[in-house]
Amino acid sequence: MEKFVAFAIKYGFLIVMAGSFLGFGLLENAFWSWPNMFSILLSITIVGVLAIGVTFTLIVDGFDLSIGSTAAICVMISSYVMVVLNLNYMVAIMFALLSGFLIGLANGLLIVKAKIPDLLATLGMMFLIQGLQLIPSAGMSIGTGMMLADGSEAEGEFAEAFLYLGQGRAFDLIPIPVIVFTILAIIAYFILQYTKWGRILYAIGGNEKAVKLAGVNVEKYKIAAYVISGTVASIGGILLAARIGRGDVTSGGGLLLDAVAAALIGFAVLGVKKPNALGTVVGVIFIGMLLNGLTMLSLPYYTQDFIKGIVLVAALIFTFGLSKSEI
Amino acid sequence: MEKKPLIRAINISKTFGATKALSDISFDFFSSEIFSMVGANGAGKSTFIKILCGYYPDYEGSIYINDELVHFKSPRDAYEAGIQVVHQSIEQGIVQNMSVAENLALEYIVSPDADFIYSGEEIEKKAVEIAKKMDIDYLDMKKNIQDISQSEKQMITIARALDKKPKLLILDEPTSSISDKEAEVLFKTLYKLKEEGVSILYISHYLHEVKKISDKVGVIRDGKYGGLLHKPLEVSTIVQAMVGDIEASIPSSYSYDNKDKKLILELKNLVVEGGSYPLNMKLYEGEITGLIGLIGAGKTELAETLFGIRKVISGEILINGKSINLKNIHQAIKHGIHMVPENRAVNAILPEESIKDNITLPFLNHFSKKSILQKKQEIDAANKMIENMGIKCENYMADIGSLSGGNQQKVVVARWLLMEHNLVILDEPFQGVDIKSRKDINTYLRNTTKKSSVLLISSDIDELMDVTDKILVMNKGKILSSEKTSHIDRDKLLSLITQD
Repeated sequence: MEKFVAFAIKYGFLIVMAGSFLGFGLLENAFWSWPNMFSILLSITIVGVLAIGVTFTLIVDGFDLSIGSTAAICVMISSYVMVVLNLNYMVAIMFALLSGFLIGLANGLLIVKAKIPDLLATLGMMFLIQGLQLIPSAGMSIGTGMMLADGSEAEGEFAEAFLYLGQGRAFDLIPIPVIVFTILAIIAYFILQYTKWGRILYAIGGNEKAVKLAGVNVEKYKIAAYVISGTVASIGGILLAARIGRGDVTSGGGLLLDAVAAALIGFAVLGVKKPNALGTVVGVIFIGMLLNGLTMLSLPYYTQDFIKGIVLVAALIFTFGLSKSEI
Repeated sequence: MEKKPLIRAINISKTFGATKALSDISFDFFSSEIFSMVGANGAGKSTFIKILCGYYPDYEGSIYINDELVHFKSPRDAYEAGIQVVHQSIEQGIVQNMSVAENLALEYIVSPDADFIYSGEEIEKKAVEIAKKMDIDYLDMKKNIQDISQSEKQMITIARALDKKPKLLILDEPTSSISDKEAEVLFKTLYKLKEEGVSILYISHYLHEVKKISDKVGVIRDGKYGGLLHKPLEVSTIVQAMVGDIEASIPSSYSYDNKDKKLILELKNLVVEGGSYPLNMKLYEGEITGLIGLIGAGKTELAETLFGIRKVISGEILINGKSINLKNIHQAIKHGIHMVPENRAVNAILPEESIKDNITLPFLNHFSKKSILQKKQEIDAANKMIENMGIKCENYMADIGSLSGGNQQKVVVARWLLMEHNLVILDEPFQGVDIKSRKDINTYLRNTTKKSSVLLISSDIDELMDVTDKILVMNKGKILSSEKTSHIDRDKLLSLITQD
């Protein structure tokens, strides 16, 4: 029995995942086609990118609630720079990345220096950014040819090269966002598994005091975790802007919770019980696959959040509930 | 006059799994008496108290209250029987965000007798009533609990305990987070309660306090009955009873001739805390120096200063003859000063990481090239330490949490002996460590520190006499003596440690 539980904790999640992959394919052959595989991946890339960022803050035993709104404000910033300011798309990307970096830095400083609890600091930041993103465009979405406040028409437009980031495909098959997501995931995995930075981030999550007494500048690492989270979220925002081709004020909705759920599901993968890059990627793909498969089997769209909730709760039981409680 | 005991605990034993935490402990508690219980860390004091308060229902032995046999199944039972506890952490007894009045009348507020509709007036009336028991009705009842002093919070928790008219009031380390002055106020109240007939069981590490206020002192040593001391009490006899008789220690082969030895660390008039005495000290290579003193003697402050945690107020620290300026721990490590902190669970262990990761933590720069970890080197280093220190484990990947206390401590010591150093400080390294592991650690310390100095901080005299070459005594911030271990007279040492 004990062995079975240990096995279930370690491989249970992957077995369920493989099982559903087989099941969907057998019920609906189109599920296994290459275009559908990439459509699944494309559907999860933006959430996946954000989830990779939030994994870093979870590792240091923190949390970043502002990732969704950071992505959203980066959609607005890149659109504003291109459409209203009529500047080059590279400038737009730079501005978006810089904003994500600064938001992460602000979060880190609020938490480490002002000693505000992580949830509260990033909640405050989330509200602040949600409000801020509405101000430059007076609450309106930004699109090519939009009417400006002075009555003139905006002269800039979304650059083709920019849109390619969200809508293009390499070899006419692999969507560019999927490539970006894959690269980010590999970098995150490498940093967390093979570098001293990763080791120290995990150590901080385990016992911050011990790491401090080992001579490590813990504050620097914690701030770095939030900077990574913010910057990665801004990459998510850029991909989102490129995908929808306009600065939609509502674009950020739902990103936060989906990303956090994916990272939490990741705890259960291989039974590591810790935030980890591989788990996060598997978690996000699992949700994408499940929604895709169920939709093919004509599951109504309004049941999606319910399904995600079930998966998350089940994964949390795998992670926490089945493990032996130590007294 | 022969008084009858109020509460008798007879032959209390308790086992956790395979370890016997308490065996055959018997104590009597009388009314109008302050009974202090002392014992080293891990001796079993808290287990005993938890049995008395009903936290551990399965124990062996019997407890009588007024000659009536009782067996508590829950803390509630003990509480109904008139045993009240004020826990060590004040914050545990206080509800933040509530007013003084609400904290005082907490039991009333949560009891079914309280009106369904919250009445501020009623609660305040009740609160004043309770406050009178401790003469703290001068407090502003409307104040937020966060705006009053620690000792006042303490008084509130005691007042609340008294409201139930306890027969026995247990105070667990009540002075650990209040100032000396606040402690005085507490003692006055304890005397008053004693007059009123309450039996008080007082647990403290501060032996001067124990000596001052107690009528009797019960000692628990390694889970066994260590004796019952009556007035007149002496700190030295208490310590003696706590740590036991000494076995003849093996004479150290250490040569005290410092002529050819390198001076590693020198302190020149180092002041570690505003208003404390300047400290002078010389540590030579290959020398293990013990530093002993009671809690509050200033040992920890000195260690923290040497490790860059505390700022130097004035004076100098010299390493190999060069004055150094320590701004943080990182710099201390750079100067070859390593420290094994006290309380490994809080200060040292990464509970979910492997033995290897726990050992190499401070020296990841050494084990990485361009920030990429060189796992092969790391594994070799960890395996070497596991073998040399005799760490019992499956392999280097085992979680540190799966090891015994002694082996966990070996890992933490290994962390700081792994790399070359000038000075290694060990702060209470023997807390919760079994004899076998102590010996392993001591042997390894001796063998690996031929070119460096060791400063071993401990309150365990016998352990220090066993392993050190020299013992420094600290008392109230001063270094009172520095003597060669082989020349030390234990009684003299005790009196230096404990003198007022």
